[in-house]
Amino acid sequence: MNVTNSAFSSNFLYQIQKLESQQSTLQNEAATGLKVSSPEDNPGVMNDVLKLQTQASANTQYQSNITAVQNSANTASDALNSLQTLVEQAGEIATNAVGVTSSTQLSTYATQVGQLIQQALQIANSQDANNNYLFGGTANGAAPFTAATDASGNATAVTYNGNTSVNQIKIAPGLTVTAQSPGENSTGSGAEGVFADSRTGADVFSHLIALQQDLASGNTSAISSTDQPNLHKDEDNVVTQIGGNAVLQSTLEAAGNVASQNGTSIDTQMSNDTNADLATTLTQLSQAQTAYQAALESGTMVMNTTLLNYLQ
Amino acid sequence: MLGLFGTLDMGARSLGVQQEEMSVAGQNLANVSNTAYAEEQLDISESAPVETMAGGEGGGVQVNSISSSRDPLLDIQIQAEGSASASLTAQQSSLQNAEAYLDEQISASSSSTAPDSANGLASNLSNLFGAFQALPNDPSSSSLRGNAVTYAQQVAQQFNQVSSQLSTVQGNLNTSIKNDVASSNQDLSDIATLNVQIAAAQNSGGGAAQLVDQREQILENLSGYANISTTAQSNGTVDVSIGGVTMVSGGAVADTLQAVDPGNGNVQVREANGGQAVTLTGGSIEGELTARDGALADLQNGLNTLASSLITSVNGIYSKGYDEYGNTGQNLFTGSSASDIGVNTNVVKDPKQFQAAGAAGDSGDSSVALALGDLGSQNVPGLNGQTFSGYYANTVSNLGYSIATVNEKLDNSQTVTQMLTNERASTSGVSVDTEMTNLIQYQKAYEASAELISTLNQMLQTAVQMKSS
Repeated sequence: MNVTNSAFSSNFLYQIQKLESQQSTLQNEAATGLKVSSPEDNPGVMNDVLKLQTQASANTQYQSNITAVQNSANTASDALNSLQTLVEQAGEIATNAVGVTSSTQLSTYATQVGQLIQQALQIANSQDANNNYLFGGTANGAAPFTAATDASGNATAVTYNGNTSVNQIKIAPGLTVTAQSPGENSTGSGAEGVFADSRTGADVFSHLIALQQDLASGNTSAISSTDQPNLHKDEDNVVTQIGGNAVLQSTLEAAGNVASQNGTSIDTQMSNDTNADLATTLTQLSQAQTAYQAALESGTMVMNTTLLNYLQ
Repeated sequence: MLGLFGTLDMGARSLGVQQEEMSVAGQNLANVSNTAYAEEQLDISESAPVETMAGGEGGGVQVNSISSSRDPLLDIQIQAEGSASASLTAQQSSLQNAEAYLDEQISASSSSTAPDSANGLASNLSNLFGAFQALPNDPSSSSLRGNAVTYAQQVAQQFNQVSSQLSTVQGNLNTSIKNDVASSNQDLSDIATLNVQIAAAQNSGGGAAQLVDQREQILENLSGYANISTTAQSNGTVDVSIGGVTMVSGGAVADTLQAVDPGNGNVQVREANGGQAVTLTGGSIEGELTARDGALADLQNGLNTLASSLITSVNGIYSKGYDEYGNTGQNLFTGSSASDIGVNTNVVKDPKQFQAAGAAGDSGDSSVALALGDLGSQNVPGLNGQTFSGYYANTVSNLGYSIATVNEKLDNSQTVTQMLTNERASTSGVSVDTEMTNLIQYQKAYEASAELISTLNQMLQTAVQMKSS
């Protein structure tokens, strides 16, 4: 084949442009550490990455939700434990009062129960870190429990202002939980009320007020026949709630572990899809550079030499 | 026998021929870097012999014509491959523009996180559904409500921006099509003019190599705009047709291309005489039409479908929710497509109007926000049963496949063009070494002829002196 000057220079340019393009691609891979950066580089990988990053984003949100629910669940757990202690104390007072005839002693017990009622009110109006009421259901605008008092400041009735709904939070695909419990549920369905529930017969405030009133009036027979069994129902109900909280905490922990593993797995998959093998990339870059230098040197050597160099 | 004067005349003709040879070599050397140039040769032959008693005696040398070593088959192949390359280059350029506007570029934001595409719509959509999912953590939180509204605005703005930029790309393609059609028509006119000149030159017996070179350059330029087929005529002219329609016949422009806007802004190409559509299979015009009506239209349609489904799905749930004031019935998104999707200005001004609750006055309820968050992982019937992110990922990767295919084809086409160009250069190109060798030969021949004339001159002087003495 006859190699003319234009054929040689055009071939030479084509070769060095190819090598330049190859070097540019490899240099970009080495600098970013990525073998894929735009859709045209590898459409299949881009498709995977876009889907995976959506999963990663959802997973991160699940983890954030799990942490938030865990905080609320911890606050709820503290409140429920306090309530259990309080109901036990009321039970002890009731037990101690049975058989006591001293009106002074009974009056002292009545005062103690009055204090327990106030503490119970504080627990009932507990708020989480976001100032949302834990035991008001989804009616969050005002404190869920308000007390009516008599002239001497003793509670005569406690009204529930909340509702029986709870706000669900998603912590995994297809799994929603809540750290909320309604304070009261007399509907016979839905989440059980913490302080009062028609299904278990629990009604902490009514039972404490009745106890206080029976203590004040010296009606010890009512204490043993009615108040003590009622307080047992309240305690059983609280224990059930504490059990539910423990189940929730363990669900959250398990979901947190799964989300963490999912996050690692998604990250690994995305990295495997996109990360360049630096050893291979750098070796290929070195080869391309050598070829480029060789092409330049040999090309300019050939182009600089013509018959003219030898004609005088 | 020629005699001294006859031989002197032969020497003089030889000098003229060597000068002409030098001139042709000079022309070749001058065009050494002109890729469309075909090496010229001086066709010479022995002059008619003079009949003598001893038989025919050589009459020296004479010039017949200047010819060029052009291979018409190679020229046609280069034109065809040029059409293919130009089409693919036009497609590559516009599709890569669209790809850049989508802004889906994978990068590693830090060494501790996996590489992802953080700026495009995929990320915006994830953020939006994440904000919906976060709202149940504190339904009355103004910052969480504000986040949801802000991310909804970001999604809408990204849709608007990409849609507008794609429209700009399509608008630019329409302008390019019009310009390329005008340039093609100019080339057709120039070819017809050159045909007239070449036919005239051939008719008068002169050479037309330079004119043929010029015409070949224009034909190759034209093949960059549209796929052409050429038919060489015996008088040296070339007929040109595009998509089966004769455009140049001999020295006349028989028809031209026309870019017509059918009313929707997307110009179509047809032949001017009959108004019929021209079938284009190559050239930049075809590439521009293919990109505009193919991958770009698919991308634009994909984004519109996605935006429309998002608007319908989100509003369908959101409008049934209640805001913090107990009001309901508003939509979150306005508009109906990627170009006009927006966010309800009321909720932008006051995020408390975000309808997150399932019942009036239930400020702690966020069942609607929860349902909105669930939309992100649900298969949507309007998106062929895919999720929003899945549909979008497929739309982006479809564009990626289109570009990758064009890149590969263009790479192959450029390799073929390079091979053909090399082949043509080897047969028609100029070699400096060859021309320099020829120059030496011509120089020596010239010196020899001059020496012949000088010798004859001395012989003539001798003959004259013989007579005078």
